[in-house]
Amino acid sequence: MSREATTAGGLQRPTLRTETPSYDDAFDAVVVGAGLAGTAAALTMARDGLDVLMLERGPAPGTKNVFGGVLYTPTIRELVDIDGAPLERYVAEKRFSILSSDGDETAISMRPGAWRDEPHNDSYTVLRRRFDEWFAKQAVEAGVTLVTETTVTGLLRDGGAVVGVTTDRPDGEIHAPVVVLAEGANSLVSEGAELKERPERDAVAVSVKEVFKLDRDTIDDRFRLDGDAGAAYQYFGEGAVGEAVGGGFVYTNKRSVSVGVVYRVEDAAAGQTPEATLDAFESHPAVAPLVRGGRRIEYSAHVVPEGGARAMPDLVHDGAVVVGDAAGLVLNSGVHLEGTNMAVESGYHAGKAIAAALADGRSDAEALAAYARDLDQSFVVENLRHYDWFQRTIAADRQFLFEDLPRALASAETEYFKMDRASKDEHTGAARDHLVAAAGGWFGAAKRAWRFRRMLS
Amino acid sequence: MNDGWNIVVCVKQVPDADDVTIDPDTGTLNRSDAPAVLNKPDHNAVESALALRDAVGGTVTAVTMGPPPASAVLQAAVAAGADGGVLLTDRAFGGSDTWPTSLALARAAEELDADVVICGEESTDSSTGQVPPGIAAHNGWAQLTYTESLDPRPDEGVLVGTRDVEGGYERVATALPVVVAMVFGANDPRPAGLHRKIFAETEFEPVQWTAADLGIEDRVGLVNSPTKVGGMDTASPVERERTRVDSVEALYDHLAEVL
Amino acid sequence: MSAASGPGIDVADYRDVWVFVEQHEGEAAPVSWELLAKGRELADETGESLVALVVGDGVAHLAEEAVARGADRALLADDPVFEPYRADPYGEQFRALVEARKPSIVLIGGTHTGRDFAGRVAVPAHAGLTADCTELAVDEEGLLLASRPTFGGSAMATIKCPAHRPQMATVRAGVFDAGEPAEPTENAADAVESVEVVVAEEDTLSTVLERVVGGVVDITDADVIVAGGAGCEGDVTPLVELAEALGGEVAATRAAVEEGWVEPARQVGQTGKTVRPQLYIAAGISGAVQHLEGMNGSDVVVAVNTDPNAPIFEHADYGIVGDLHEVLPALTAMVREKQEVAA
Ligand SMILES: Cc1cc2nc3c(=O)[nH]c(=O)nc-3n(C[C@H](O)[C@H](O)[C@H](O)COP(=O)(O)OP(=O)(O)OC[C@H]3O[C@@H](n4cnc5c(N)ncnc54)[C@H](O)[C@@H]3O)c2cc1C
Ligand SMILES: Cc1cc2nc3c(=O)[nH]c(=O)nc-3n(C[C@H](O)[C@H](O)[C@H](O)COP(=O)(O)OP(=O)(O)OC[C@H]3O[C@@H](n4cnc5c(N)ncnc54)[C@H](O)[C@@H]3O)c2cc1C
Ligand SMILES: Nc1ncnc2c1ncn2[C@@H]1O[C@H](COP(=O)(O)O)[C@@H](O)[C@H]1O
Repeated sequence: MSREATTAGGLQRPTLRTETPSYDDAFDAVVVGAGLAGTAAALTMARDGLDVLMLERGPAPGTKNVFGGVLYTPTIRELVDIDGAPLERYVAEKRFSILSSDGDETAISMRPGAWRDEPHNDSYTVLRRRFDEWFAKQAVEAGVTLVTETTVTGLLRDGGAVVGVTTDRPDGEIHAPVVVLAEGANSLVSEGAELKERPERDAVAVSVKEVFKLDRDTIDDRFRLDGDAGAAYQYFGEGAVGEAVGGGFVYTNKRSVSVGVVYRVEDAAAGQTPEATLDAFESHPAVAPLVRGGRRIEYSAHVVPEGGARAMPDLVHDGAVVVGDAAGLVLNSGVHLEGTNMAVESGYHAGKAIAAALADGRSDAEALAAYARDLDQSFVVENLRHYDWFQRTIAADRQFLFEDLPRALASAETEYFKMDRASKDEHTGAARDHLVAAAGGWFGAAKRAWRFRRMLS
Repeated sequence: MNDGWNIVVCVKQVPDADDVTIDPDTGTLNRSDAPAVLNKPDHNAVESALALRDAVGGTVTAVTMGPPPASAVLQAAVAAGADGGVLLTDRAFGGSDTWPTSLALARAAEELDADVVICGEESTDSSTGQVPPGIAAHNGWAQLTYTESLDPRPDEGVLVGTRDVEGGYERVATALPVVVAMVFGANDPRPAGLHRKIFAETEFEPVQWTAADLGIEDRVGLVNSPTKVGGMDTASPVERERTRVDSVEALYDHLAEVL
Repeated sequence: MSAASGPGIDVADYRDVWVFVEQHEGEAAPVSWELLAKGRELADETGESLVALVVGDGVAHLAEEAVARGADRALLADDPVFEPYRADPYGEQFRALVEARKPSIVLIGGTHTGRDFAGRVAVPAHAGLTADCTELAVDEEGLLLASRPTFGGSAMATIKCPAHRPQMATVRAGVFDAGEPAEPTENAADAVESVEVVVAEEDTLSTVLERVVGGVVDITDADVIVAGGAGCEGDVTPLVELAEALGGEVAATRAAVEEGWVEPARQVGQTGKTVRPQLYIAAGISGAVQHLEGMNGSDVVVAVNTDPNAPIFEHADYGIVGDLHEVLPALTAMVREKQEVAA
C-alpha cells in the first residue's frame, strides 16, 4: 500500500508507505563500526562519490569506545577541518616515569616550546564519546548513511567472496559489493568469518581505565597547565603494573583526568586482575595526588592489539578489507602508544582503494590490493615493523626493566643527592655502583644500552 | 465494512532521561549534554499502534509537535513500522503547555481522520499525562488512559481496553474515535528492521503542518497556555548525612537511634 | 467549545476551593481526605469556602463525611450513570458545574482516576492544570502556587495560573496528612446540595465491562519501608524478613516490579507511590531520579549496595557497601535478638 502525498482538502497529506524497499546492493560499501578507522574509510569513499552505509552497534559513535587517550591528528587533519572538533587539550608535556613498588619515582619530562604552537605536534587529548560522534557527523554530511544500534553479527558469502553482512535486526541482511571491517580490537566478525585468526595471547594487551572529574583550575594547578595545554604522563615499572609487562598512563582532559593501565593479557591470565592493578597504580604515592578528590565518572576495560607487524592479518579479501585495530594496527612500544593515527590512515587508504576498484567494476582481493600496498608504504607498517622487536625484548628483560632498574635508579638518586658529611665524589661513585650492579656489571649495561637504543630511534 | 483503522500515534522528543544527571556536589540538574530521544513510554505507544494495525488492518501515522529536529522521533516510529509521519511545527507553538499541545494534536488527529489515537503514559520531561485526555476532550472523543492492553472489535467499531486502576484493573469498551494512553512498559516494543530503518533515515520525509494549516494559530503558544512556570528552585536536594558505615553492627546502632 | 474562561475572563468572578472526593463503590480514596485537609488550609488563607465535590451513585454519606471533615459545603451529583467511574460522564458533569459555579481552585487526587479525568475537565474549562503536585500554597493575591518536582526532585517547579480559572492541580497520594476521621454531625446533611445531573447514559462513549479490584496493600502509611531493586536478583526474602522484624512494609523500584518480584502496588517513584516513612532502607537500588522522587521525603534513608559509587549513597543518611543478601539477614538477626532481649 502506498498513498502518495496530495494536497486534497487544503492540507498536504502524509505519504504512507507500508512496504519497505530493499537496500540490497543499494550501497557500494558497508562499513562495520563507526570508530576512527571506519569513519575515515566511509568519509573517503563518500568524497569519491560512493554510497556508503556505516553500521555502529552503540547508540551513537564513540559510546562504546575506550580510550586513553591522545588522538594523533596528522591524517585526520587532511580529511576534515579539525578546528571545529571537540578536542580537550593539546599535549604540551610528555612525561615518562619509572615507579618502583616501594614508592620511588624517577621521571623525565619534556615541554618543547614548539608544542605550544599550532598544530601542537598533532597530539590532543579527546573524549572519544564526543570526538567520534563529531567525526562520524562529518562523514554523514559528506553523504554517508549512518545506522546506529545495529550490531553486525556475520558476513554474507557467495563462494569465498564477502557479499554483505548480517545484523542483529529483523530483516537484518544486506548485500553490498564491499565490506569494510573496522570493528576495533575485539574483532568478532572478522574472526568469526575467518578473515583473521584469533590473535595470540602475546599479541594482545588488556587495559582498564577510569575517568575522574576534577575542576579545571585544579587540573591546571596540579599539572602546571594553562589555557588548552594538557599533559600526557606515562609510567613504567613495578609500581605501575606490578608483576606484569606494560605501563600506566595519566592524561588530562578539560575537566577530567583519565587514568589507566595497559599490560599483557598473559599477565592477566596469570592472575593479575585489571581492577587490582589499576587500584595499586592509582594509590602509588606518585599518582594518587594527581587524582585526589576526583569523582570517578567512568570505568571501562578494553583490549589493545600489540602484536606489531608480525601479527597483522591479511588486509584484503574478495569483497572485504580490514582496517584499524581490527587489523592489529597499534604501536605499543612503551614510549609510544599510537593507534588513532594508524586507524585513520588505514581507513583512508582502504577507502581510496575501494573507490578505485569499484570504478573498474571490481571488488575482488586483487583489485583491492592497492590498500595493502599503500599501507605498507605508509608510516603505519613502517613503524610497526620498526618496533616489532620491542615486545620480545622487554619481555625478556622484564625483571631488569620493571623491578631492578626502578629500585636501582631510586637508590642511585638517593645516594647521589644524599645530604651527609661525605664528599660528592663518594656519593657519585656509590650511585653509579647501584646502577651498574642492577644492569649486570659494566658489560651487561653496555649490552643493554645497545639493545635498547632503538627504543628511542 | 472494515478496510482497516486510521491509527495515529503521538510521539514526543525529550532529553534522554538516562543522561539527565544530578551533580551530587552542587545538586544541580545536568541535562545539557543529554541527547534528544523518543520519549521512552512512547515506544510502548508505537508498539500498540503497530499491533493494532496487525490485528485490524489500516495505517499508522506518527505525529509529533516540536521544532524541526523532532522529526527524528517520527523517523524512529517509521523505522519501527509506522507508515508515515506528520510534523506539527511552527513558531506559534512555542511555549505551549498541555492545553494548546493537546489542541494541536487533536486537530491533527481530526485531519487524519483518526479512528484511534495512541499516546504514551507520560512524557519524561514534563510528565503530566494530561495530553491524551486533553486530545480526547478537545475532540469530544472517548478516552482510555493507563491502558495495559487493547482488544479491537472492528466489526462493532469498538475498542476494548484493559486499564490499570488503583488496586486492580478494569475492561472498558469505547466507541471510535478514541484516544488511548498506554501504560509505560505495557508491551515489548519490536526492534526496527534493518531495511525499514534505512528507509526511515534516508528516504522518509514527514509532511509539515503549521498552526495556520490547522486553523489554530490564535489558540496556541505561550499566550494560550494557562499555566506559567512561576519559579524553578533547583538544588534543594534533601540534606542527608551521607555517613558510610563499615559493619552491620554500626548500621544497627544508627537504626536503633531512629526506631 | 466552551468560552467559560481564558484570556479576558474576569478572574474575580471565580471563588472558592473545591476538592474532588474520589470514590469507588461508595468508598472514598484516601487521597480525597488528604486534599480536603489541605484545601481547608488554603480556603482559610484566601478567606473563601471549601467545597467538596462528590460524584457517584448512592454516595450522600461521603458528602456528609466531607462536611464533617471540614468542608463548608458539599455538592452532590448522585446518579447510576456515575458508577463505576468513567471519564466522559464525570468530565461532562464537572465541566457543567465549573461553568455554572466558577470555583477558583480545584484539587484532584493524582491517582489514575484523578489524572484520567482532570485532563478532560481542564480542556473545556480552559483551566490551568498542574499535575502531580507535592506542595500547594497561595500567594498574597490568592493565586495558587502549585509546586511539583521535576527530574527526580532535583528541581521544584512552581506553576501559577494568573489569567485562567479555575486553577487545577492533581496531588499525589501520601503527600498531605488526612487528619482524623470524623463521624458526620447531625446537621451535616444541611450543607449538602444535590446538583442537577447533566449526563444521560445514552450520551456516554464508553462502557465498563468488568472491574476487578481489591486486597491491595497501601505502603504510603508505613513508618518503616524496606525497599529492594534490581540488586535483589530475584530473591526478596531478605527484604520481607527485615520488614517483618521492623514491623514495616516491603517496597520496590520499577526494575524489581517489572521483573515480577514485587507487586506493582509496592512500587515507589515517579510512576509509583510517594512515601514518607520514618525509615527507608534502600537495598540493591541504584538511586535513579525517578525512584528518588518517590522516597525523598523519608526521614532517614539507609542504603545497602555493592557498588561504592552507586548514586543512592549520595541520597542516604547511612550507607553500607555490601551484598544485601548478607547485610539484610545480619541486620534482621540483630533486630530480632535485641527484641528478644527486650521482651
Ligand atoms: C586504554 C587505551 C588507551 C589508548 N591510548 C591511545 C593513545 O593515547 N593514543 C592512540 O593513538 N591510541 C590509543 N589507543 C588505541 C586506539 O584507541 C585505537 O587504536 C583506535 O581507537 C582504533 O580505532 P578503530 O576505529 O580501529 O577501532 P575502535 O575505535 O575500537 O572502533 C570500533 C567501532 O566499531 C564498533 N563495532 C565493533 N563491533 C561491531 C559490530 N559487530 N557491529 C557494529 N559495530 C561494531 C564499535 O562500537 C566501535 O565504535 C588506546 C587504546 C586503549 C584501549
Ligand atoms: C518515565 C519513567 C518513569 C519511571 N518511574 C519509576 C518509578 O516510579 N520508580 C522507580 O523505581 N523507577 C522508575 N523508573 C526507572 C528508573 O529510571 C530506574 O531504571 C530504576 O529505578 C532502577 O531500578 P534499580 O535501582 O532497582 O535498578 P538498577 O539501576 O539496575 O540498580 C541495581 C543496583 O543494585 C546494586 N546491586 C546489585 N547486586 C547487589 C547486591 N547483591 N547487593 C546490594 N546491591 C546490589 C547495583 O550496584 C545497582 O546499584 C522510571 C523510568 C522512566 C523512564
Ligand atoms: N509535543 C508532543 N507531540 C506529540 N505527542 C505528545 C507531545 N506531548 C505529549 N505527547 C503525547 O502525550 C503523552 C503524554 O505526555 P504528557 O502529557 O506530556 O506527559 C506522550 O507520551 C505523547 O504520546
